[in-house]
Amino acid sequence: MSAKFHKRPLTELNPYQQLGLRKFNFKLIARLTGMMLVYMAISLALPLAVSFYSRDGAQFAIAFSAALILMLGLFLRNIVGRNAEYELKEDESYWVTLTVWLAIPFCGTLPYLLTGGLASFTDTVFESFSGFTTTGSSVVPYPEELPESLLVYRALTQWVGGLGLMLFVVAILRKLNASASQIYEAEFSGTQQRKLHPRLARSVTRMWAIYSLITLIMFIGLILTGTRFVDALCLAFSTVSTGGFVTHSGGVSILSGGSMVVVTLFMFLSGINVAILYRFFTLRWRHLARNEELRTYTLIFLISCLLCAIAFQAVGNDLLTSLHYSLFHIASTMSTCGFYIPKPPHWSFAVSVLTFLLIIVGASAGSTGGGIKLRRILILMKYVGNYFTRMMHPNAVFRVKVNDKPVENDYINKIFAFVFLYIAFIVGGAFVLTLCGCSIPDAICMAAANISNLGPSPLINNLGGNLDYTLLPNLAKWTLTLLMLAGRLELFALVAIFSPSYWRRGY
Amino acid sequence: MVEGLLILSCLIPALHFADGTASPILASGLFTFNVGLLLLVRFHRAKRPTDRRVAYLLVVTMWLVMPLFGTLPFLSTGVLHTFADALFESTSGITSTGATVFSAVEWLPSSILLWRSMTQWFGGFGIVLLVLALVPSLGINKYSLYTAEASGADNTGKQATSMTATVRQTLGIYLLLTAVFVVALWKNGMHVWDAVNITFTNISSGGFSIYNNSLERLTHTQQYIVALAMLLSGINFAMLYNFFTFHWDRLQNKLEQFFFYISIYLVAAIFVVFALRFNMGFDWGDSLRCGIVQTISVLTTTGSLAADTQNWWVPITFLFVVLSLCGGMAGSTTGGLKAMRVLILIRNVRKILRDKLHPQAVNPVRLNRKPVAPSIITNVMVIFLVYAIAIFLGIMLLMLSGINATESIGAVIACITGYGPGLGLSGGFGCYAGFTVAAKLICSFLMVLGRLECLTVIILFFPSFWRR
Repeated sequence: MSAKFHKRPLTELNPYQQLGLRKFNFKLIARLTGMMLVYMAISLALPLAVSFYSRDGAQFAIAFSAALILMLGLFLRNIVGRNAEYELKEDESYWVTLTVWLAIPFCGTLPYLLTGGLASFTDTVFESFSGFTTTGSSVVPYPEELPESLLVYRALTQWVGGLGLMLFVVAILRKLNASASQIYEAEFSGTQQRKLHPRLARSVTRMWAIYSLITLIMFIGLILTGTRFVDALCLAFSTVSTGGFVTHSGGVSILSGGSMVVVTLFMFLSGINVAILYRFFTLRWRHLARNEELRTYTLIFLISCLLCAIAFQAVGNDLLTSLHYSLFHIASTMSTCGFYIPKPPHWSFAVSVLTFLLIIVGASAGSTGGGIKLRRILILMKYVGNYFTRMMHPNAVFRVKVNDKPVENDYINKIFAFVFLYIAFIVGGAFVLTLCGCSIPDAICMAAANISNLGPSPLINNLGGNLDYTLLPNLAKWTLTLLMLAGRLELFALVAIFSPSYWRRGY
Repeated sequence: MVEGLLILSCLIPALHFADGTASPILASGLFTFNVGLLLLVRFHRAKRPTDRRVAYLLVVTMWLVMPLFGTLPFLSTGVLHTFADALFESTSGITSTGATVFSAVEWLPSSILLWRSMTQWFGGFGIVLLVLALVPSLGINKYSLYTAEASGADNTGKQATSMTATVRQTLGIYLLLTAVFVVALWKNGMHVWDAVNITFTNISSGGFSIYNNSLERLTHTQQYIVALAMLLSGINFAMLYNFFTFHWDRLQNKLEQFFFYISIYLVAAIFVVFALRFNMGFDWGDSLRCGIVQTISVLTTTGSLAADTQNWWVPITFLFVVLSLCGGMAGSTTGGLKAMRVLILIRNVRKILRDKLHPQAVNPVRLNRKPVAPSIITNVMVIFLVYAIAIFLGIMLLMLSGINATESIGAVIACITGYGPGLGLSGGFGCYAGFTVAAKLICSFLMVLGRLECLTVIILFFPSFWRR
């Protein structure tokens, strides 16, 4: 393609171009990454405070890693990224996204490494990525043995990753206004979200505000229902971000009944588009009833709960257990939180399959959850339905509408491609997992659970029970790490980097 | 519907060839023949189908009624006792799937063996005919499922202008291939009877065998010959025709699919060979032979087995599952998604990345250097999605009928793609006898669904289809 364009003589080109590579705005990328690292170092103050408060012996490790990250951040921001031009090309936004998403989780391994709580480097990377991508797969079988500050740090990574690291960038960098919207898109949409405010920076600030508010409410709710301070803090972080890290090997079942209700409720809420939650809290409820995605989300939730409860009843559990488990399980799966509680005495395969379906579908677009996203599924289903009608009436014209707004065909094509890629990633990931000795259903479930950022899959391990990711070989852990990242970045950002045309010198 | 039965009845007498050695078979053959004749006489004045709906209905009815009549030989000779078993076996034959409920086949009367092989041979020919001749002539190609082959980007899917010519040419190629491979096997020391049966089931990418241990019984040379037959059966028949009639310039418009098909095969085969050598401790000769023969058997969704794959290394079996989903070229006897669709799916992803990179440029999906119409891309996408959903629902239903996860996945994919052997007990030299009645019926349905590429069958479930 590019060959057809007039090429400038080689001497006029800069070093990248001479190599046949494109020129990137590395300075800006470095500067943004550096800024993120600085903010990350600052956020480590919270676990540090917890550490000093509870005297768990991790003070030094956390302080030291904070210092290291701070130094690296300042170096990137002020030295490498000095005089950066605040301008990004369309496709460079992918690079910003990817760089930040690699730099932060890798630096995030430092606290784990320095406290020595995890066995190997691979484990720390896995845990760190699982945190920032809000997956919640863990290689720590007994979290209660970790220092409390590290637990808080783990949950904090999820909270920060939840709304998307890049939204930080966007919120911070008002200068970037035009370029920022590209980052916003690369990171957060692909789902055609409406912004909350004409000015992007402001709408992002609003999203963070609402996110923090929900976290705070949940935290208070947990404290009021009798949860310990640290547990409440961690759970609030990892629920609202649909992460799924727990503070105890017993999972959330160690909580009081009231706290369980709080957790279930907030799991459900965190699977909803943040923009909708914003309208909810600003008392604009008119919009809520009209929102198609929210309606679908609620409907699927209720139907799944019902099916799940019936299935458990059918295999001989008592009504209360079935209902209780169904509500919790479905909320946890749909929002891709991935919390688990002890299974009812009799397991039903119908639930396993239902769970798998929900994992793939995932939460609403614009929420902190993962998966293909309900909005995309909704559009696809409508489109396929139309397609069959069109097979009989080839001349009829149909338009897929969501919330009474027509969806463009280009966009539908993009969704199809997305779903294809999604399945391809699951299949590819599962293949590598089978190389590592997993059985085929285990491999598929694990790949799906991690690409959808669910975490501990209730399907794995003989279809029921939470799997110990600890036992996997390193190759499997790295594969799952990659899948988590791919799922969090909604595939295209990652695939783009690996496509040759992306590297070639443009016109 | 009335008109639909016209063509249906034309096909039914074909079943009459069901080998008259045993009187039950003769009886069922005659019965089928008579029913066919009756329908033909009754409806021979019917108009040719013009309505789109009738066309869809016709295609589905054909693939539902033929297996129904195909059960007669099994039931009347008493080799199978339940209707579900017979239906499963018969559907598996007509759709050239190759999944079987017989744990051992060598005790079966030879007439039944021939009948099984024959159903596959006819089934394989039927699907090629449907795609290359019938669909274009019925005029349902524009928004139908076989678009990939029958219209749009690939107008040349039809080699001749008239339907009869296409049928003649396709039949010619099919007969020629069959004859060549029968002779080749026979010359290499196989009994003619065996050679005929084995050629029938492999040229149609079916996979039934007359031996308990499938291809393992054959000599190595014979196995390679069968592998070649399978390889050819995965190629578009229009392409084969053009190749054999020296119209090589016409090959161009399918060259990319062809190379895609071949390259997938080579890459997978190399992986399998090395995996067999180094992970399963086969010696070089065996791993080379098994790798080459088994991989093509999977890719063309034939299901003949060079060795008992039941306990092969898990990644290999997983790779097999993925390969069978991919399938051979469109317009061949194979099942699966077809190479062309997979190619379009991949290129569409690339197009979207390019759109992002060069938003101003026009980046069409190209196939054989020609841009592919958006309607075809959507068609491929919809088929892919429906395929995925069908597989998922199939697995769900099988699991609910009490089959474990691995076996459900294996069975559903084996049936919908037409590969045959599943995973676990139904894989390798195993059989589907252990499945419940419900599971067998589901599998039979999936075979038809997969063979007709989903959309035709599923459209019948839409209420709007039946509304005037």
